Amino acid sequence: MGLLALGTALEWPEAKKKAGQVRQWGIEQLLANWRRARGKERDVLLWGDEVEYLVVAFDDTAKKSRLSLAQADILKSLARDEALWKSGGSRNGDNGEHDGEEPPHFHPEFGRFMLEATPGSPWGIGFKDLLKVESNMKWRREIAKAHMAPNESPLTLTTFPRLGTKDDYIQPYYPPSGPALRSQFVPDEIANPHIRFPTLAANIRSRRGRKVELNVPVFKDLNTPSPFKDPSVDYDLHIWPEDDDVRNGAAKDDHVYMDAMAFGMGSCCLQITFQAKNMTEGRRLYDQLSPLGPVLLALTAATPIYKGFLVDTDVRWNQISGAVDDRTPEELGEAPLKNDRWRIPKSRYASNSTYISQDPRLRKEYLDPDLVVDEDIKKRLIEGGMDDLLATHFAHLFIRDPLVIFSEDLEELDLDKDNHFENLQSTNWQHMRFKPPPSGSDIGWRVEFRPMEIQITDFENAAFSIFIVLITRAILSFDLNFYIPIPLTTENMETAHARNAVLDKKFYFRKDPFPRRVPRTPQQSTNGSTFSSATSSAVNTPPPSPPLGPVDTEYELMSISDIINGGPDGLFPGLIPLVESYLNSVNVDVETRCFLASYLDLIRKRADGTLWTGARWIREFVAKHPSYKHDSVVSEEITYDLVKAVEELTAKEGRNGSVGWELLRGKKN
Amino acid sequence: MKLILSTSNIMKGGRPVIRLPLTQKSNVELIISLRSNFIASQQIDSNGSTNGNANGSHSIRQDYRSWTTEQDGALYIPAIDFSHPGLSEERDQYDITVKLFYLPGIPMSRRCAHTREAIDLVLKELHVKSIDLLIVSFPGILFDADDDSEDEEASLNGEPDDFDSMVQTWRVLESLHEQGMIAQLGVAEFGSERLARFLPHTQVKPSVDQINLKDCCVVPKSLILYAKQEKIQLLTHNDCNDILPVGTTRELLGPTEQGAGILASAPQAEDGIQGDVEPQWVVKYTAVVKDRGVVENKGYFALADVGPCVKDRA
Repeated sequence: MGLLALGTALEWPEAKKKAGQVRQWGIEQLLANWRRARGKERDVLLWGDEVEYLVVAFDDTAKKSRLSLAQADILKSLARDEALWKSGGSRNGDNGEHDGEEPPHFHPEFGRFMLEATPGSPWGIGFKDLLKVESNMKWRREIAKAHMAPNESPLTLTTFPRLGTKDDYIQPYYPPSGPALRSQFVPDEIANPHIRFPTLAANIRSRRGRKVELNVPVFKDLNTPSPFKDPSVDYDLHIWPEDDDVRNGAAKDDHVYMDAMAFGMGSCCLQITFQAKNMTEGRRLYDQLSPLGPVLLALTAATPIYKGFLVDTDVRWNQISGAVDDRTPEELGEAPLKNDRWRIPKSRYASNSTYISQDPRLRKEYLDPDLVVDEDIKKRLIEGGMDDLLATHFAHLFIRDPLVIFSEDLEELDLDKDNHFENLQSTNWQHMRFKPPPSGSDIGWRVEFRPMEIQITDFENAAFSIFIVLITRAILSFDLNFYIPIPLTTENMETAHARNAVLDKKFYFRKDPFPRRVPRTPQQSTNGSTFSSATSSAVNTPPPSPPLGPVDTEYELMSISDIINGGPDGLFPGLIPLVESYLNSVNVDVETRCFLASYLDLIRKRADGTLWTGARWIREFVAKHPSYKHDSVVSEEITYDLVKAVEELTAKEGRNGSVGWELLRGKKN
Repeated sequence: MKLILSTSNIMKGGRPVIRLPLTQKSNVELIISLRSNFIASQQIDSNGSTNGNANGSHSIRQDYRSWTTEQDGALYIPAIDFSHPGLSEERDQYDITVKLFYLPGIPMSRRCAHTREAIDLVLKELHVKSIDLLIVSFPGILFDADDDSEDEEASLNGEPDDFDSMVQTWRVLESLHEQGMIAQLGVAEFGSERLARFLPHTQVKPSVDQINLKDCCVVPKSLILYAKQEKIQLLTHNDCNDILPVGTTRELLGPTEQGAGILASAPQAEDGIQGDVEPQWVVKYTAVVKDRGVVENKGYFALADVGPCVKDRA
């Protein structure tokens, strides 16, 4: 989660006064960095995955499972070992399988019950590297587990089913209603104690003028009361002014209500970052991957429970969006604009709103008509030499206020750093992120793909990571074009939330992803040699293209299976066939191809419904649990059995009819 | 007369490649991309503009002489502008793999010339002096993953290659390797037994054995072990064994709606070239940017002889 520099963090009223300065300095840092790095060329493909874990503690005698707040201890212990490895000591739990691989890195996350792990060094495109991803993920999990208490386990669930309930779902236990979050459900101690995190949460709340507000529609089962009024909401709490929120209607009927950043930022995701060849390629990948975001969100759906209730959505996305939504009533359009500068249609955490590639295929009709841009910042960037598209992108990100400002950083502007730029950049959590090279490093231009939900097993996480990598290679090789108007991607993102969207919903997607054919053999004469004299000008000037049709003829509504596997009669060939076709064009050894086939098979079958999503499996698990009363309530007992099953699934991966075979194998044997 | 058929860069050529049923061993890629390249070339000539839809029929038949070109006794279909730079970056950024398909029924005696011809076209097209890997595919060899025995049934169009002719062909390849034109050599569809028989006859060992497997998880263990021992890399491919049959070639070039109108419509007609068509070889080339895994250029050339009684010419 960005920089963790220490310092004196400003509280909101102070931070607000400095927001303009931070933005201005951030833009100057961006310009300086952009000038240094824009000519960076020929960087190789390097990529990395980020896997996030919940640390779950089991109490087998009481049949209880809790979130463990042991992050700091675990990280300390991991750091000691990493230091030991570096000094040549033996590796914990290593049987030589990972010789030559750098030990993985572990990072803190917002939730004190979370861990993040990344490979020790980035992956390349050497196909042998792709084979290491899954085993490296398993290795990370083993190492993490080895540094936990014996009854603790790192699980890759997006959310803990009973986070925020009235029971003691965390250990050690702390009561809710602390000064930073002011949540009636979770204590301040749920967040990483590093000053950055409580400040982030508190300043989002202060800027909003009330607590964040998450209302997720409840899943209406046979015995669910109707209307459903979230029974865990306390309307008589009078500790903080924000306790009035619920009395002012914050908790909606038929919804599960949550009131703190931890309900969103406490979710685990699977994120992939690529290094592009140069800025141009990075901008292209940013644009082309953007329409895939909602598709991969629906395909990885794994979040059907919040605060002890089955909900009617399958994914985490909007909850995180709401959990860090710092918009004021004026910005939200709930009050007339008086003090704020503009209405802002999306949260800081949302689907992305810009296309940035200087691609002739990018039609202006694709751009977001509601895009809010800070025109002064855009002007400054253009004066500084940046092109209009990229200037628009950053001037859009910079409509936000910096949330965590350290007073020490305001003394002097250092153009060789990017702390002020990153302050804004890294708190714009869009589903794609375009990352300039960090100053003072030889890292290239990067693109981060952020929408995917973490999967329960490392096999699935490796499969989705590698799938995305292969798609980027297919995009570049076939010069694919996935452009659709940005508002449709925004709409698709909403669509992806629906229960079982992966099978039941349709998504806007471009029908024909192929480039228009530009042959290189124009003829000069009716019959004669064209070899000798046919040179530059005629060859290099493409013949005039036929006029483009209306934008709305370029896309249609497709099922996830059509998009992934190809439609029965549609134009769109399917992402998997595209990837297969790419693989048929490169030299892949037999063993690698076999691995890749098993990964692609998982995705193909998730899309066509042969295999279940995590969300569906969890729903079915709850529905079939003997103590489930069909009232949407996921009790402590069910939760204990569920996370136990998840732990078993992580280890056995549904082999031989073991739990969760529906997710991975499709048949019991 | 020789006919040189080409696809140009199929990675940038619209939608030729993709809609193959996944399990189908197929030469669809070659045929569709040849056809769409022919159509695109005719359309350029007729109205000076391009059309992305390569599947459309063309109502006004162009005289083939307007979009092909004849040079040194060969008709290029379509005409090729070799001055166009083949690759956008420096040579050492690429892995260039070439696969040469010797076709069934073509006398072994022509292989030396055919190999040179095919490689030369690729070098000229990509503007390079050498290639990294040449894989040769001998006609009639089928790899069978189930029992590791090669199926040497004669295909419809000719006899399977006998062992001696493979060894003789290999000599030609070794000499090209010697000249620095080819860095590594490879074979296709060899099982472990055939490899074991073949290796003692080689100066330059094949470094690759490329096998077509629908499900590559069932490679025979004997082959895996043997390949490992001999340091031969087992690669996968999705090519068709009989990549360009005579009938298909006639159809491609013929006077029908689907054809390119190169061949005459009737024995006495003057609307095209008279005589029989006999495909000689097909070559596929792929240039991949090494550290980025991007396929930048991929295409095919195919050569066919046409004329009266081509079969009799030795």
